[in-house]
Amino acid sequence: MTDMLEVKVKKKRKKTVSLDKKKARAGWIFVLPFIIGLVFVYFPIVFESLEQSLFYKVPGDATARVFNKFASYYEAFFNADTSGFAQALFTSVGEIILDIPMILLFSLFMAVLLNQKIGGRAVFRAIFFVPVILSTGIMESIDASAVLDTMSNAGGIDDGSGSSAAGEIVDAVDLQKFFNGISLTDGMLKYVTDAINDIFNIVNRSGVQMLIFLAGLQSISPAIYESVQIDGASAWETFWKITFPMISPMILVNAVYTVIDAFTVDSTVMTYISTLKLTEVEKTTAITTAMSWIYFLLVIAILGILVAVLSAYTFYQKKK
Amino acid sequence: MNTSNVDSKPKIRKETKNKIKVDFERTSFKERFKAKFLTLTFLKKVVWIIVRYILLIGVAYIVLFPFFSKISSSLMAPSDFNDSMVRLIPKNFSIDIYKAIFTEQEYMKAFGNTLLLSLSTALIQTFICSFVAYGFAKFKFKGNKILFALVILTMIIPHRTLQLAITNMFANFDILGIFGFLSGGGISIFGFEYNNEFLSSINVLGNIDSNVFTPDGVRLVNTFWPYIILSITGLAFKNGLYIFLLRQFFMGVPDELEESAYIDGSGVFKTFFTIILPISIPMMITVFLFSFSWCWTDIYYSKVFFTGNNAPLLLTSEIGKELPSSIKDLVPNNISKWQTAIRTTGGLMIIAPLVVIYLFCQKYLVQGIERSGLTAD
Repeated sequence: MTDMLEVKVKKKRKKTVSLDKKKARAGWIFVLPFIIGLVFVYFPIVFESLEQSLFYKVPGDATARVFNKFASYYEAFFNADTSGFAQALFTSVGEIILDIPMILLFSLFMAVLLNQKIGGRAVFRAIFFVPVILSTGIMESIDASAVLDTMSNAGGIDDGSGSSAAGEIVDAVDLQKFFNGISLTDGMLKYVTDAINDIFNIVNRSGVQMLIFLAGLQSISPAIYESVQIDGASAWETFWKITFPMISPMILVNAVYTVIDAFTVDSTVMTYISTLKLTEVEKTTAITTAMSWIYFLLVIAILGILVAVLSAYTFYQKKK
Repeated sequence: MNTSNVDSKPKIRKETKNKIKVDFERTSFKERFKAKFLTLTFLKKVVWIIVRYILLIGVAYIVLFPFFSKISSSLMAPSDFNDSMVRLIPKNFSIDIYKAIFTEQEYMKAFGNTLLLSLSTALIQTFICSFVAYGFAKFKFKGNKILFALVILTMIIPHRTLQLAITNMFANFDILGIFGFLSGGGISIFGFEYNNEFLSSINVLGNIDSNVFTPDGVRLVNTFWPYIILSITGLAFKNGLYIFLLRQFFMGVPDELEESAYIDGSGVFKTFFTIILPISIPMMITVFLFSFSWCWTDIYYSKVFFTGNNAPLLLTSEIGKELPSSIKDLVPNNISKWQTAIRTTGGLMIIAPLVVIYLFCQKYLVQGIERSGLTAD
């Protein structure tokens, strides 16, 4: 009897272990396509890109390369031909930093509006998500050649992208009159007017964010709103005490997405890099690649700070 | 207000089985009107509704106006461009521009190629991303979290930074030197003729004349293969986002569903294909729509992967850039306006198919995201 029992126990234990292993193996098979891509395609690409930034070509020899001891990262700023880089870099990074709150505020605001029960909600949703499918900036690129033409005969075909014939929607001077009594600094004022004039751009870039916010809003239980209403909270209080904390994880996700998405837009610094021509031709590849890595690392550092700050204020309903 | 009616017995006028007619003293219309409409709460409600509509219509205008102005200018007859009275609504309708682009710029060929490319990459990406995301969401194995962090990393490092390396990779595509070995010099396991056959089968678009196999690897530039390779391995444009969204969705699927399937004797993969995939169709449609439309409107990758001048995709073709020669100089007085109209018409024709698809699928876009269980992560 005892023998048999032992055998049974052993068998059982062996089986449970193998089931776990089986599931782990199945998990590996599921993620296998990604692992293959990572090992055979992605890592080689990243390493080659890093290598390109770290090795100078030798003049006169097509294949030989010399390790430059990170000199390319230094020369990105201090080469004779790269004087404009620092400025372009900070312009782009500044644009990203200023765009984040604008896009987040706008998309949150619109998502809250679209989440309420109003007539024609389906139609408005359909219209507002058009930028999602056209979000890679195709409308602008179509206009790229056309804008110049339109500029030369103002009042022509208006393409709606603030910078062209449409002119500025709001003048800084008008707003200054409007805000005369309020003590606003010129910088703040410029930020507001720029944002309003840039509304076309902001609307077009906040489609996915709006969608994610809307999903977050839909997942808030109506029971919470009901109980708050019974307790006599106003709409304002409800938004700040219920909706905002519940949506705060989405704010984090959207902030990260906005930064990542900003890389896909033609920024000042990427245009600068792609048009850069150095007198020392053999260094061009290394320095331009180093420049785009610098840009990437700087933005990621900012993203890291942003995530750290935001996650301190993020509210999670489920405690982990 | 109506307490007096309750006290005194209501007069019954007529009573049938289902209905009863009662006489009662009704509050006058004026008072009812006052109580209902002339209050502060009602005023607040109305003002709020008006403000809301102004905002919504304003933003809708910003989104739609560029389309409207482009469509109207594309439908104008040449004479309208010399008429200073005509601004946004064409006086004489004409579809000459559409006709010219359609017939002179090989629209259908470019359209077919773009459709084939977008459809195939979107289908592959949707399937591969759900496959990978399911692995991340439902299986615990060593390195799960590190691998998922790598997924996010592949999304964060912009492909523009890696551009040169990506171009080099697909200009001479090689895995562990296999392709280079196969095509290098005298060593050939496959016969020369076989090589040629393979070469022509790999050439999807049929416009490559130089040798595809070189000792350095396979030349994949100007074919669909870079897209397909990136899609199969889940590395294409924004695939990290799709994996993230689908993972969130699969994490919301209760484990009991799979457990009961396992108990009934269904294997892991059978469960995935027969139970998990069917219930995740709304989410998959969302991902499909994303990847399809972002592939359709993509300029960046088509510039990197299609280096030839006569690249056959909609966005790399001459549509929207060059002007059809027959109508190029039709409006002598306002030539630049006319040329702008031709270019924007080209742009409209590029995005028109996408807008049609969007009109049919936009319902699923919101639905899929709403059900994605994007809550606290």
